[in-house]
Amino acid sequence: MENRQPAYPGTTVPGLRTPSAITPSGPRRRLPRPGAPAAAGLLTAAALALTACGGPATGTADPAGEPRRGGTLTYATGDVEPACLDPIVSGNVPQALVSTQYLEPLFHQDEDGEIGPWLAESWKWSSDRLALDITVRDDVSFTDGQQLNAETIQKNVEYIKDPKTLSSTGILAVEKVESVELVDEFTARLHLSEPDNALLEHFAQVWVPIQSQKALARGMEQNCLAPVGTGPFTVHSWTKQREIVLVRNEDYHTPAPTAGHSGPAYLDRIVWRFLPDHANRFSALQAGEVDVIDVIQPQDAIAADADPALDTLIGSRPGHVVNLTFNTRREPFADLRVREALIRSVDVDAALKSIFLGTVDRSDSVLSSITKYNHQQPEVFATDVEKANRLLDEAGWTGRDAAGYRTKNGRRLSATVLQTESVLVPVSVLEQFQASAKAVGFELLISQEETSTFNERRYAWDYDLAPMYYTKNSPAVLNLTHHRDNIPSVIEGGYHANNNGLQGPEAERIDQLLDTGSVTADEQERHDSYVGAQDVLHSQYLNLPIFDQQTRLGFRSDVEGLQLISPLGMPTFYDTWLDRS
Amino acid sequence: MTQTFPVTEASAPVTSPTPHPPRGPRRRRFGPAVAIPATVVTVLAVAAIAPALLAPGDPLAMEPANAFAAPSLQHWFGTDESGRDVFTRVIHGSRDSLSIGLLATVIGVGLGLLLGAMAGWGSRAVDFGVNRVLEVLFAFPNLLLALLVITILGPGVVTTTLAVGLSTAPGYARMIRSQVRAVKQSGYVEASIVQGRSRWFIIRRHVLPNVAAPLFILATLGVGQAIVWASSLSFLGLGATPPAPEWGAMLSAGRGYMSIAWWITLFPGLFIVLSATATTVLGHSLQQKLKEMS
Repeated sequence: MENRQPAYPGTTVPGLRTPSAITPSGPRRRLPRPGAPAAAGLLTAAALALTACGGPATGTADPAGEPRRGGTLTYATGDVEPACLDPIVSGNVPQALVSTQYLEPLFHQDEDGEIGPWLAESWKWSSDRLALDITVRDDVSFTDGQQLNAETIQKNVEYIKDPKTLSSTGILAVEKVESVELVDEFTARLHLSEPDNALLEHFAQVWVPIQSQKALARGMEQNCLAPVGTGPFTVHSWTKQREIVLVRNEDYHTPAPTAGHSGPAYLDRIVWRFLPDHANRFSALQAGEVDVIDVIQPQDAIAADADPALDTLIGSRPGHVVNLTFNTRREPFADLRVREALIRSVDVDAALKSIFLGTVDRSDSVLSSITKYNHQQPEVFATDVEKANRLLDEAGWTGRDAAGYRTKNGRRLSATVLQTESVLVPVSVLEQFQASAKAVGFELLISQEETSTFNERRYAWDYDLAPMYYTKNSPAVLNLTHHRDNIPSVIEGGYHANNNGLQGPEAERIDQLLDTGSVTADEQERHDSYVGAQDVLHSQYLNLPIFDQQTRLGFRSDVEGLQLISPLGMPTFYDTWLDRS
Repeated sequence: MTQTFPVTEASAPVTSPTPHPPRGPRRRRFGPAVAIPATVVTVLAVAAIAPALLAPGDPLAMEPANAFAAPSLQHWFGTDESGRDVFTRVIHGSRDSLSIGLLATVIGVGLGLLLGAMAGWGSRAVDFGVNRVLEVLFAFPNLLLALLVITILGPGVVTTTLAVGLSTAPGYARMIRSQVRAVKQSGYVEASIVQGRSRWFIIRRHVLPNVAAPLFILATLGVGQAIVWASSLSFLGLGATPPAPEWGAMLSAGRGYMSIAWWITLFPGLFIVLSATATTVLGHSLQQKLKEMS
């Protein structure tokens, strides 16, 4: 079909670059991005790092004719298989992808970052902003028959905060919620430890969905197998290591404000399969064995765009961009000059142009280009080999060994990048960085690890550089990834959201800005705080931003009405139908 | 067949195996079945030993602006996703790929020789013990055994070599054991024993020459197999580390780009096939030769 609209209409912050990947470009979307992204996402997912909220995001494809009811859609994901279908437990991208089909949050956040009602009908802050009254719709039942009411919110928050639930994303999102009081049957009052500007955003992401309290009472294990929400589909079965089968919720009547129709979904069933190998997944799509794939590789997206039987839908996700994160807790990156030198020595543009075939836009901020208040500073991250050499000289790395690497006190200037199969950043990109670092006498070693080892080493701060990202629909993602509060592991398992570990006066300054951004009642001050925080973060060279995280779908052209839903940019199949007999 | 040979140490003719390879009349020269693979192996050996002779460029030199260039006069095999010359990388990659194959075979043969000789020449108890160990090792498919070794020792070229070597050892050991046994029971060995020759003399004079020829052939066949296994492990990311050019690793890196740049995978793949086929054909031809000669 033709003339689908772009996944996202555009960015919401004036003056920012619009990533071409999400700009509509006529009948066919432009796509792109690397091969590793999805996997990467997973990776983090595995790490639990992702949350989401924030930016924009909805796109609708504009169907060719009258929607037809019925049929089974097969979705093949390149992300890992979730360990639990309830995204509260841990809380990662693979979970968000699938649970968007059967769970819904309290609020809807549009592409401009504005919060609107969804399962919640209205909300009201107290004057001190330490209490939030949320009134839910009185006409909603979960697919197990349980009615949605104020108690649902209470039970959901309790469930998230219960350490036995093993939530990482959700628990950080409701960190400031101290208790939930029942005001009346449909109104709950959340009491906060301090004001939280991101609270509504938190409740607009699928990592903090609203589930049936009856279902939650079954306990985590049961709930993981078949969470019960209000979404357009329900979990029918889950054959581990093979597929998840979702069936239509016939009583569905809570579509998102951006949905294209009302009433039940068109599709009878969705079969959710796991095909981690990029090449296999794309072949399966070409052969028509599956209808939709994610994590489509740049070269495959180009091929899909050239094939009349295939199409693509690509959009950015909000949050902390895909980046290389420096561990400042040990040499050599404890030294700011060495961090900047490495960043100045590499050529990100060349890597994106070659390996991603120029289909992905570079990010020059730690915040995704669709996240509110993102502050792009290309000059800070521009390649400058001369400066890199000067900085390393200043830092005392003036000796040279036989291999041509710099030395100080007889020690070689060397750093290790952690890397894993389910890569955020393909190893070929790291190889290019390795070559350019070598040109300034910096040895970069690439250590490829299994995802589990990658996470273990990450939790133990055993890396110099590592690819990371954190999906979240709010600039408050920086409070998680860069506030000193998150250097220690605040949840079980050793996971820590702050992977830089920066201490000292600059870290203190960053904390102040992030705290202000989080609690201030003044929108302008919130803006200034987050932009200011990015200024400091960037000038401290704590991360090398590479590109926005993306949802990258390839699909058969007879799949109509596919959308990415705001704020996380996850695919939704509510409006989707199959134009085939 | 039965063969007599000049006997000085024993009074009676003995049966095969021969005490040492026969030096029969010169047969016809080697045919194409030997000449062609031998040429290929020679060229690959040159590539491995002195790659700069064939490809003077730097296999690690990147030119991102020139990524995915199709094969041309300037880049015979095209360029990869970082603009590196695939021809240069394939030629320089011979060293890693072939040396892993070769060294792994040496390790396998060495270990096989030790175990095989122990079992074949040792006491019944030793034979029993070694055999049980071999049976256990045989129960694992070779590649699985190699993966097991890598899991324990960690990935890298050295461990890959070791892993492939260890996993091929049982095959050699079994062959050597049976050869040693056959020789041990032969009349001329008995005769030597009767004459009071030392064990070392017997091994050197009778056992080794008999084992050497079939072992050499088996090892030649094994090199091809070892190259394929080593490439497989590198393909899985367990062997050579980036950015080293290694055929299996190149194959793996280029695989995702097959639809737009077939040359990144075709040429390393071709070289794996070529080297494995050449050594295997050579091995078979030599085997044939040996049969004819005996």
